[in-house]
Amino acid sequence: MGSEVRLQPDPFLNELTNMFERTTEKGSVWVTLKHSSDKSKVQRNKMKTCGEKIEYRCLVRATDGKKTISTLVGPKDHQRFQASYATILKARMTALRKRERKDKRKAADSDKKEDSKIRSTASKTTN
Amino acid sequence: MVYITSWDDFVEKSVQLFRADPEKTRYGMKYRHCDGKLVLKVTDDRECIKFKTDQAQDAKKMEKLNNIFFTLMARGPEADISEVSGKDQVEAQPAKKGRGRKQ
Repeated sequence: MGSEVRLQPDPFLNELTNMFERTTEKGSVWVTLKHSSDKSKVQRNKMKTCGEKIEYRCLVRATDGKKTISTLVGPKDHQRFQASYATILKARMTALRKRERKDKRKAADSDKKEDSKIRSTASKTTN
Repeated sequence: MVYITSWDDFVEKSVQLFRADPEKTRYGMKYRHCDGKLVLKVTDDRECIKFKTDQAQDAKKMEKLNNIFFTLMARGPEADISEVSGKDQVEAQPAKKGRGRKQ
């Protein structure tokens, strides 16, 4: 695997979006979340013995199999990050199957185009 | 490695694993647009649980789990996650507005 590139949260999110864009035809995007203090074990042990508090962060890694990026998200920026992250996923993960509506107005399979147009504008307003 | 079929079980087990070992546990997602498949994995390198789906509604549920993990990992394993919700939660309060976050 190539080396990992550490980015600030916003550039990370941009690059993550690019990864999704690059893998629409084929390939996968992996995103992993992990607790991290971003310090070596030796440092951590030293801090523990001094009674120093280790600030934890969330390490987010993303890869498309060729390129790997990562970023650290702390307690102050995690809410903003998670919101942006959610927006990206929502915009990008569109290949998953939508559930069929139970209250179908029209019979199955007839004129889906009209229906889905209405549905997509409707779903936008539920935000 | 276990594939869990119930979403709620998967969430509960994931949080359990994390709280038992916050240093090792990691939460991963793999998305394949070409296949329309999503696989979630939580492991502490001893146990491994997975959830797979091709349903859009599960992506929505995953959003909440993402938020839970962000909260736990950025604030600590003891963080209160009872308030964590996805953006489009159907239950309880309609959104904690005032965070200034629109679309």
